[in-house]
Amino acid sequence: MSKFTTGFKVRKSWDTAILALLAAVIIMASLTTENFLTALNISYIFSNTSEITIIAFAMLFMIILGEIDLSVASILALGSSMLGWSYAKGAPIWLAIIICLIVGTICGFINGFLVTKLGLGSLAVTIGTLALYRGIANGILGENTVNEFPEFWTSFGFDTFGTSFMPKTLPLIIFFGLVFGILLHRTPFGRRTLAIGQSPEAAKFAGINVVKHKMIVFTFTGFMSGVAGVIYTFRFSTAQADNGVGIELLVISAILLGGVSIFGGIGTMWGVVAGVLLAGSVESWLTLQEINAQWRTIVTGILLLISVAAPVLVAKSKERREFKALKS
Amino acid sequence: MNFLRRLKPSSREGSLAIILLVAVGGTGLINPRFLTGDGTRDLLTSTSVVALLAIGIAPIVVMRHIDLSIASTVGLTAWLIADMSAKNPEFTWVQCFIVGPIIGMAVGVLNGLLVAGLRLPSLVVTLGTLYIVRGLVYVVSNSVDYNAQEMPPSLLDLGQKVFFGLLPFTFLLVIIAMLAVAFFMKYTKGGRDAYAIGSNPPAADLVGLKVFRRTFLAFVFSGFMAGLAGVFYLMRFAQVDSTAFYGQELAVVAAVVIGGVTIMGGSGTVVGAVIGALLVQTIQGGLAALGVDAFWKSAINGLLLIIAIYADRVLAVRNEKQLLAQRIRERV
Repeated sequence: MSKFTTGFKVRKSWDTAILALLAAVIIMASLTTENFLTALNISYIFSNTSEITIIAFAMLFMIILGEIDLSVASILALGSSMLGWSYAKGAPIWLAIIICLIVGTICGFINGFLVTKLGLGSLAVTIGTLALYRGIANGILGENTVNEFPEFWTSFGFDTFGTSFMPKTLPLIIFFGLVFGILLHRTPFGRRTLAIGQSPEAAKFAGINVVKHKMIVFTFTGFMSGVAGVIYTFRFSTAQADNGVGIELLVISAILLGGVSIFGGIGTMWGVVAGVLLAGSVESWLTLQEINAQWRTIVTGILLLISVAAPVLVAKSKERREFKALKS
Repeated sequence: MNFLRRLKPSSREGSLAIILLVAVGGTGLINPRFLTGDGTRDLLTSTSVVALLAIGIAPIVVMRHIDLSIASTVGLTAWLIADMSAKNPEFTWVQCFIVGPIIGMAVGVLNGLLVAGLRLPSLVVTLGTLYIVRGLVYVVSNSVDYNAQEMPPSLLDLGQKVFFGLLPFTFLLVIIAMLAVAFFMKYTKGGRDAYAIGSNPPAADLVGLKVFRRTFLAFVFSGFMAGLAGVFYLMRFAQVDSTAFYGQELAVVAAVVIGGVTIMGGSGTVVGAVIGALLVQTIQGGLAALGVDAFWKSAINGLLLIIAIYADRVLAVRNEKQLLAQRIRERV
C-alpha cells in the first residue's frame, strides 16, 4: 500500500514537473527567438504534432494496459498508401478515406488477435507487424507516390482557419482528445484499463474480461493510426510507402514524457497532451534556432531516455532519503 | 528410442537445419546457381553481418532483454572506421578490427548502465540509443560518403578472401564466434546464469545471481559484436553513408526469434540464431529467384517473424502440457 501511494505521489510531482518544463521551454524559446510565439509558429507546432497526438491518445491506453504497439507508424503508412492507391484507381475521395480508416482498424484488430487470442507478446508481434504492414504498403505502391488530391482535403490537412493559430485539423484533434480523455477518466472502461495495468491477474479475478478489453484497445489504436494516416496524407499531399517512418518512437517518447509509466497502470490524458506539446515545442525551438535537422534525431533519443529514466531516478532518491530518515 | 527422446529437447536446431536444407534445396530447384560454390559463398557472405549481430543479441534475448541499437551502432562504426582510414593511409585491417569493437562497446556500456544499473526497460532504452547513435552518424558524417578507394586495401582483400571456394573469411569468423559463445552459454556459470535470469528475473535476484554484472556485460558484448559487424559491413559493401544499415535491427531480431531464441527469455541457443539468420537470407534469396518484387522483402520478414513467434508459443504450450503429464504420471 505504502509503495503504491509513494509511487503515485512521485507520478503526481512528475506531472507538475512536466508542466513546469513545458512552461520553461516556452518562455526560453520566446525569449531567445523572435518568432516562437507567433500565430503562424503555434499553428506549425499544432500541425506538426497532429499525427503524433492522434495516435498518442490511443497509445496511452495501450501503455497503461502494459502492452505496446510499435506498428502504428506502419499502419499509418499502409492506410495512407491504400488511400492514395484507391484514389488514383478512381475511387471517390470519401471512399478512399473510409478505406484508409478501415485498413487501420483491421490492422489494429490483427495485432489484437495475435496478442490476445494467440497469447503472443505485444512487443514481438508488433515488431513483426511493423515490418509486415510497411512491407505491404511497399508492395502496393513500390516507389510510386500519389500526390494529386482534391484541394478541399489538402487545405484541410495543411491550412489554418484564416490567419489564426488554429490549423483546420485542430478541432478534430480536440474532439478525439475529449472523447479519449472522458473515456479514460470518467468511464468504467477507463477504470478497467487502469485496473488491468496495475495487475492483470487481479483484474481478471475481479471479473474484468481482459482479453476483450485488450482487443478493443488494439483495434481502436489501429483506427486512430488510420485517422493519423488520413491527416498525414493530406498534410503533405503525398501518399507513399515510407510515410511517417519512425513516428512510433515519437509517440512513445511523448507519452512517457507525459508521466505515463512504461510498466503500466499509471497515466493521465493531460499528461500526454503536455508531453506532446513539450516535444513539439522543443522541436520548433530547435528549428527556429536553425539547429541542424540532424541534431533533432539525437534530441528525440535523449528526450526518450530522460522521460523513462527521470521518474525512476526521482523515486530512487526519494527512497534513499526515506531510508536515511528511518535510520536516524 | 530412449536415445531419441533424450535428443528431443535440443531438436529445435535440428528441425531448423532441416527447414534450412529444404529451403536451400527448393531455391536451388528454381535457380540452380544457388547450389553452386558461388551461390553458397554469396549466401554466406550476405548473411555474415546479420549472423554476427544475431550472435551478439542472442544472450540478451535469452535474458529477456532486447537491444535495438545495434543497427545504428553498425552504421556508426562503419562510417567512423571509413573516415579514419581515409584520413590515415597507414590504417590496415588490424586497426579496423581494434577500433570497430571499441566504438561498439562504448554504445554497449551506455545501454548496459541504463538497463542494468537503473533497471529501465531495455526496449525503451535501446530505442532511445538507436535514435541517439543514428543521430550521431548524421551529425559526424555531415553527408560525406566513402567508397572503396578510401578504404584500407588489406581490409577489402580480407573481405574477398574465400577458403576452399566456399567459406568466406567473414563467415569463418562468424562460426568461430558462434562456437565460442555457444560454449560459454552452455558450460560456464555466466551462461547458465543468463538462462536463469531470463526464465525468472525476480527469482534470479532472490537467489543472489549477479544480475547487474551479467546484464551489463551482455550489453557490452552486444555492442562489441555490433562494432565488429560494422567492420564486416565495410568488408562486404566497400562503401558507407550515414544511412548505412538503417532499420536492419528488426531483421536481426527476426533471425534470432526464428532461430528459436524465445523473446520471453530463458531458452534458445546461439547456433539456432545463426541458422535463423541463414534461413531468413535463404528465403529472401528464394523469393527473389521466384521473381517476387524486392518491395515485398520487409513484409516477408515481418510475416516470418510472426510465424516464428507463433510456432514458439505452440511448442511452449505443448512442452508445458507434456511436463505436466509427466509429473502426474510420476506421482501416480
